[in-house]
Amino acid sequence: MTSLKIAWVNLRRTFRDRTNLFFLVLFPFLLIMVLGLAFGGQTAPRLAVVATGSGPLTEQLVEELEASSGLDAEAFDDREAAVTAVEQGRAEGAVVVPEDYDARLAGGGEVVLDYVSSADRTAQQTGTIVASVVDQQAARVTVARVLQERVGGDLDGMLALTDGTAEAVPDVAVAATITGETVFPEDLGRFDVGASGQLLLFIFVTSMTASTALIETRKLGVSRRMYATPTSVRAIVAGEALGRIAVAVLQGAIIMVGSALLFGVTWGSPAAAASLMLAFAVVAGGAGMLMGSLATSTEQAIAIGLLLALGMGALGGSMMPLEFFTPTLYAVAHVTPHAWAADGFADLIRRDGGLGDVVDELGVLVAYGLVLFAAASWGLRRSIARA
Amino acid sequence: MAASLDIAAKDLRQRVRDRSAILLAIVVPLALAAIFSLLFGPASTPRPFEYAVVDQDGGPIVAAFEDEVLDYLESEEIVSVEAMGEEEARQAVSDGDLDAAFVFPAGFSEAVQSERPVEVEVVGSADSPTGTDVARSIARSFVADLDAARVAVAAVAHQQAGTSEDELSAIAEQVATAPPPVALRDVSASAKVLDTKTYFAAGMAVFFLLFTVQFGVSSLLEERSDGTLARLLAAPVRRTSILVGKLLTSIVLGVVSLTVLVVGTTLLLGATWGDPLGVALLILAGVLAGTGITSLVASFARTPEQAGSWQAVVAVTLGLLGGAFFPIQQSGSFMATASLVTPHAWFLRGLGSLVGEGGVVDVLPAVAALLCFAVVTGAVAMTRIGRVVAL
Repeated sequence: MTSLKIAWVNLRRTFRDRTNLFFLVLFPFLLIMVLGLAFGGQTAPRLAVVATGSGPLTEQLVEELEASSGLDAEAFDDREAAVTAVEQGRAEGAVVVPEDYDARLAGGGEVVLDYVSSADRTAQQTGTIVASVVDQQAARVTVARVLQERVGGDLDGMLALTDGTAEAVPDVAVAATITGETVFPEDLGRFDVGASGQLLLFIFVTSMTASTALIETRKLGVSRRMYATPTSVRAIVAGEALGRIAVAVLQGAIIMVGSALLFGVTWGSPAAAASLMLAFAVVAGGAGMLMGSLATSTEQAIAIGLLLALGMGALGGSMMPLEFFTPTLYAVAHVTPHAWAADGFADLIRRDGGLGDVVDELGVLVAYGLVLFAAASWGLRRSIARA
Repeated sequence: MAASLDIAAKDLRQRVRDRSAILLAIVVPLALAAIFSLLFGPASTPRPFEYAVVDQDGGPIVAAFEDEVLDYLESEEIVSVEAMGEEEARQAVSDGDLDAAFVFPAGFSEAVQSERPVEVEVVGSADSPTGTDVARSIARSFVADLDAARVAVAAVAHQQAGTSEDELSAIAEQVATAPPPVALRDVSASAKVLDTKTYFAAGMAVFFLLFTVQFGVSSLLEERSDGTLARLLAAPVRRTSILVGKLLTSIVLGVVSLTVLVVGTTLLLGATWGDPLGVALLILAGVLAGTGITSLVASFARTPEQAGSWQAVVAVTLGLLGGAFFPIQQSGSFMATASLVTPHAWFLRGLGSLVGEGGVVDVLPAVAALLCFAVVTGAVAMTRIGRVVAL
């Protein structure tokens, strides 16, 4: 009973501070929103298209570029703006169609289009897609010119003849098939991929920073006074532990429920998602309590807590999905509880898994939690006895 | 002036003695920059797409595709290609070990030459949409030329019945050898984007700067609650001198910590910050902007604790919006424009303009923007802060 009271006091202290309310409630959603708006749903390389001239060939080229899968084409008014976009990394490349494109082709000339890029590998890969669109139009114009010579007529008429014939002639086709499973199914919303990472990141950050309460408790002499009452050390430690877990769970619940309501994030099977979050909250609570019992000053605890929480979050795939890690880093990442929890959420969110699919991950998280709480209880007992 | 220097010197000594200040101003940003660039650096370096060629044909056309098209792309390190059996290739693509495979069926070359319909299959991995699109584009470019000859021959044969076989092959030859009427030329643009290491070094430096410079004016509140401010005011020291001393503390702390971070990340992480004079201007302007903003926040607070927590809220929000953690400027969305309300975005943009040949002139817009932040926030803070010093 006393333990529950201590836990309750801990929770109230955390939520009474209005700054904490910002970090616990507003900030996670701000981050999810900014990331979702800035980066969500953006996968294809971006191509800036500058086509100032007009005419059927220009229009067709631009249409083909826009329709090309694998490119996210955006029209730019002039070359300068497009080059700036490339320089600032807002587009992988820019293609510039000369103003007299149609006229020069109709006159039998050759046209060179500029593909402006920073010439890194992504830009070159994007360039092959652009080149393919250009090559296809070049082939069409070549045929029309040969026909002009053999059959006679203007280029437009011969282009029409080329297109008409192309439909009738059996062609050499490119068939595309897609195999394998996507890591990120296409029906994932723009906020879905990042949300579980941010959930884990924030549970841990909050747990670490909120555990400075333990240091205050010690400094203000609250521990000493509690110790003086007929409350067993066991009950105090249990109460503080419950308090740490409660703060972490509450942070988790706020993010899960809030992101589902505000951004329509899907968390998969509710029972499994809740279990994963609870297990991770136990780990985070344990880590927070361990640091709170070992650190000597609030400032020190915040600096080290931020470093650990952000560092482990980064390593554990909370900022960039683990699938993008190199194999070595992927293995190293699984030192962190974040990586295990992230694996579990990936099973639920991306592969529609259930409780049965995340048993391993839950087991590892619970083991982490037990070890951390054992160490933290020892640390807290020691600090209470000393105080 | 002497009094200001004394006050600043005393505050600085206090800060240096307090190790957690050094922790937050230097150790944590340095460590986080190292962790982020170690983890995210490899992933942000694009790799060549890995393809397989399944040649069940053994004919000249597939050989031409391999020798002329793929060899060139491989030499440019855009793709890497391996010959494989069909089962093996499909499995590898399906497992995500390859991005895509080109499967040429038996009799492909013969079918192309005899004008029968035929297909080359591009098997792409679901996990590599761009890799698949690039493979498909490569195949389409190649096939476009094969198709062109067929179409030209068919059109002439249809329009002019009775054209001889020889003449038709001459037409096919003419199409195949004609110089392409449209070609793509690579023009390189100088990237004005920070590399991963420098980006994270700069992002963390500017993010933690707002925590570092907050000690200055906030310490007025601290001195007030400790009772030392009253004693200071009773001494023959002008109020402006006290204020100048506090601002000086912030500026020195900010400049020193940023300088240490620039040198540290250059030596330890291999970050490249660019023209030293340009960087110095940005640091100074950035520190002034940070000092102005934190002073403004402090001027609204009643206690040092309140100032500290409000400043944390402001620093974290501005850091997030300003792209200190994620390169929001490159996202191209409206968030990139929105981020320009933060000094962080200007600081990072200024550094971006130093990449390559950029010099002092290129950072001036960013420096001007940062100074605007400093002047506006600083002016408001100074008019408000009077009430703290008056008490």
